[in-house]
Amino acid sequence: MERTSRFSAALIFVAPLAVLVVLWAVLVPALGVRPQIFPSVAAVGRAGIDSILDGSLLRHVAASVSRVAIGTVLAVLVAVPLGILMGVSRGVSAFVTPLMRFFSVLAGIAWIPIATLWFGYGFGAIVFVIFNAVFFVVAYNTLLGVSTIPMTLRHAAASLGAGRRSMLTDVLLPGALPNIVTGIRTGLGFAWRGLIAAEMIATDVGLGYMLFVARDFYQTEVIVLGMIVIGTLWLLIDRLLLVPLERATIERWGLVSP
Amino acid sequence: MKSLSLKNLAKTYFDAYKGEHVTAIRDVSLEVPAGEFVSIVGPSGCGKSTILNMVAGFIPHSGGDILVGGEAVKGPGPDRGVVFQSFALFPWKTVLDNVGFGPKMRGVPKAERDAIAREYLALAGLSHAADRYPNELSGGMQQRVGVVRALANQPDVLLMDEPFASVDAQTRMTLQDELSRIWEERRPTVVFITHDVPEAVFLANRVVVLSKGKVLAEVDVPISRPRVWDRLVADDQFKDLSNQVLALVRSA
Amino acid sequence: MNALLPLWSFVVRTSVKWPVLRTLAPFVPVVALWWAVAAWGPFPPAFFPSPPDVWTKFVTLMEKGILPEYLGDSVGRLAIGAAVGIGLGVPLGLWVGLSKGAHRALWPVLLFFQAIGDIAWLPILIIWFGFGLTTMTFVIVYTVLFPVILNTVLGVRSVRIELHRAAQSLGAPPWRILTEVVVPGALPNIMTGLRNGLGYGWRALIAAEMIVGTSGIGFLMFDARRAGSVTEIVLGMIVLGILWYIVDAWILAPIEQATGRRWGLVTQ
Ligand SMILES: Nc1ncnc2c1ncn2[C@@H]1O[C@H](COP(=O)(O)OP(=O)(O)O)[C@@H](O)[C@H]1O
Ligand SMILES: [Mg+2]
Repeated sequence: MERTSRFSAALIFVAPLAVLVVLWAVLVPALGVRPQIFPSVAAVGRAGIDSILDGSLLRHVAASVSRVAIGTVLAVLVAVPLGILMGVSRGVSAFVTPLMRFFSVLAGIAWIPIATLWFGYGFGAIVFVIFNAVFFVVAYNTLLGVSTIPMTLRHAAASLGAGRRSMLTDVLLPGALPNIVTGIRTGLGFAWRGLIAAEMIATDVGLGYMLFVARDFYQTEVIVLGMIVIGTLWLLIDRLLLVPLERATIERWGLVSP
Repeated sequence: MKSLSLKNLAKTYFDAYKGEHVTAIRDVSLEVPAGEFVSIVGPSGCGKSTILNMVAGFIPHSGGDILVGGEAVKGPGPDRGVVFQSFALFPWKTVLDNVGFGPKMRGVPKAERDAIAREYLALAGLSHAADRYPNELSGGMQQRVGVVRALANQPDVLLMDEPFASVDAQTRMTLQDELSRIWEERRPTVVFITHDVPEAVFLANRVVVLSKGKVLAEVDVPISRPRVWDRLVADDQFKDLSNQVLALVRSA
Repeated sequence: MNALLPLWSFVVRTSVKWPVLRTLAPFVPVVALWWAVAAWGPFPPAFFPSPPDVWTKFVTLMEKGILPEYLGDSVGRLAIGAAVGIGLGVPLGLWVGLSKGAHRALWPVLLFFQAIGDIAWLPILIIWFGFGLTTMTFVIVYTVLFPVILNTVLGVRSVRIELHRAAQSLGAPPWRILTEVVVPGALPNIMTGLRNGLGYGWRALIAAEMIVGTSGIGFLMFDARRAGSVTEIVLGMIVLGILWYIVDAWILAPIEQATGRRWGLVTQ
């Protein structure tokens, strides 16, 4: 029962996308669209197979994904403890909130020029942009999360005998977790866009680079292939990472009305 | 005020999960003359809400007839006012605008509908809350607004689905006193659904006991009016009738 | 420590009197630190400008009229993008939210196009429209559009069925239900969508200005990057940060909260 309904749900989800592909397959030849303007389905398919066979697609995907993964993991590891530290004291959190807010509205793409100046074109600059996009947003949200944990909850824990350590692991961290997850979603969204932009400007490998170089040669089939890969990768990140995370925290604890 | 009559009413749902049809209402016939207050009681799942939703026109019926003042109902309409268990007040409208909503839909000008709304708010002692938003009120106050909103639209029939089930016991008794008083003043036709037997008896001229989608029994309530809890708590007639209905519901 | 207490209470008292100070005060030590690092730190000025450098640059660019012009260009583009994005996104979202058929057919497509993300469109847009305003406008509209649509749909679908029923049984015809129930019920979500959309939108704008622009703050920063002028880059960042801080903290967030709070429709 469960399996079949999940399967049919997946089918219902994919069907409209399949219709879109059929429309594309019919309309491009029917309207006589030139390949320099928009590619045919077959051309994109061929570009996909070619780039898989010569390993270039994998190289670009691996480069992009590893940059995002490294930047994000580093950022979360630093931002969460820092956010909690800043959030514990009312005074400190009130003081740093405007700062964190300022830097989190600036996070990501706006740092590309200075990052490329500081780190040169390449891996360092891109990871810096991603780190920065995730770091400030997650730190800011963690800070918000900790400072909005009701004082009564902290007092309750203290009067039940919670020490510093268990206050951290049993009250502050779980209390802030829904905000942390929200921060990770927003930050990753900025990071992913920052990644594509930075790769267009500042590197010689990665999905953004792949798209931007194809533009020089009017290879629209490679561009569209890249866009589909980018879209699919983000959907995978969303379904396999972000949605389960949100389910495990925000929805489960009933902190958001459905 | 108009009469309501249900003739051989039936409803089957299609349960998409199980993939089968479920009969919720088998064969219900009921006459509610104009100006009468009828309570429908029965255990949870016996089909009370289903009947009310069909009468309100929210869901289609599968068989039989629903007549208001002799005319068959087609979909929801302002001739049947509804009071919901969850209050269903518009959170983005003030109390005054919630109550004035029905007249507004009829095209009554602003000044006039505000006057109507204020008159009805006064009826429930809510004048002071006119400019509040619903979420600034207690549950009991919200449901007063819900009742007043339905009344202000002057429906032919008033339909209430467990309207007091989600307020505390103390407030519930106050609301019952007030509803009884308002009914005595205005004499609307009311179908009142509840699973609370004393509530059903306290309010109604007649109590209909529902069981598994069928009418099990009808019990007349000839207790004199005005009815207030202060008097009825110790009233023997009230106790006897309540016990009689309770026994029927238990056997259902 | 105790000597600092009077100072602390002075800070608290003044910040209660002028709330803006509470926002600005934390930047004082940050700028001081920045100044100190620039003055005594290991970095050459070409790499790490000091606050006075940036201020001088600010004054110069203001006098030449470049900064106001570029700022006007960027804000104008964003405003057009926001207006078109809302104009298209809200009706579309209402439609997809209300019609089961439209929802089934379009929801996956919307999710997919949202996932592709604005910036990935730049290369093919450049092929279609060249380097210029059309490309930039398209990117911003695209970026604003999807969060607005998706959140409007969520908002419409979050309106409880009883509210529809209540309106119907009070005599509301379908179009009045749309204006009196659906739109206000979805409004907090629409505002959230707009806030997210603009948050992504102005980032996309900056990227687009860097890559295809001939004016605007993004262009200013990237042009400075090419010329190796770190002072202008930092100035651009500060301008962007202040601009967006004001828009987000003083306009968008209050509107978002105002719709949700008083009505008790809490959005996360
Ligand atoms: N939409 C529906 N689909 C399938 N079955 C339903 C639906 N609504 C109600 N039912 C079933 O119909 C019966 C009567 O429900 P309801 O009228 O809500 O009962 P009550 O209000 O008396 O508690 C129940 O068995 C319930 O499970
Ligand atoms: Mg029910």
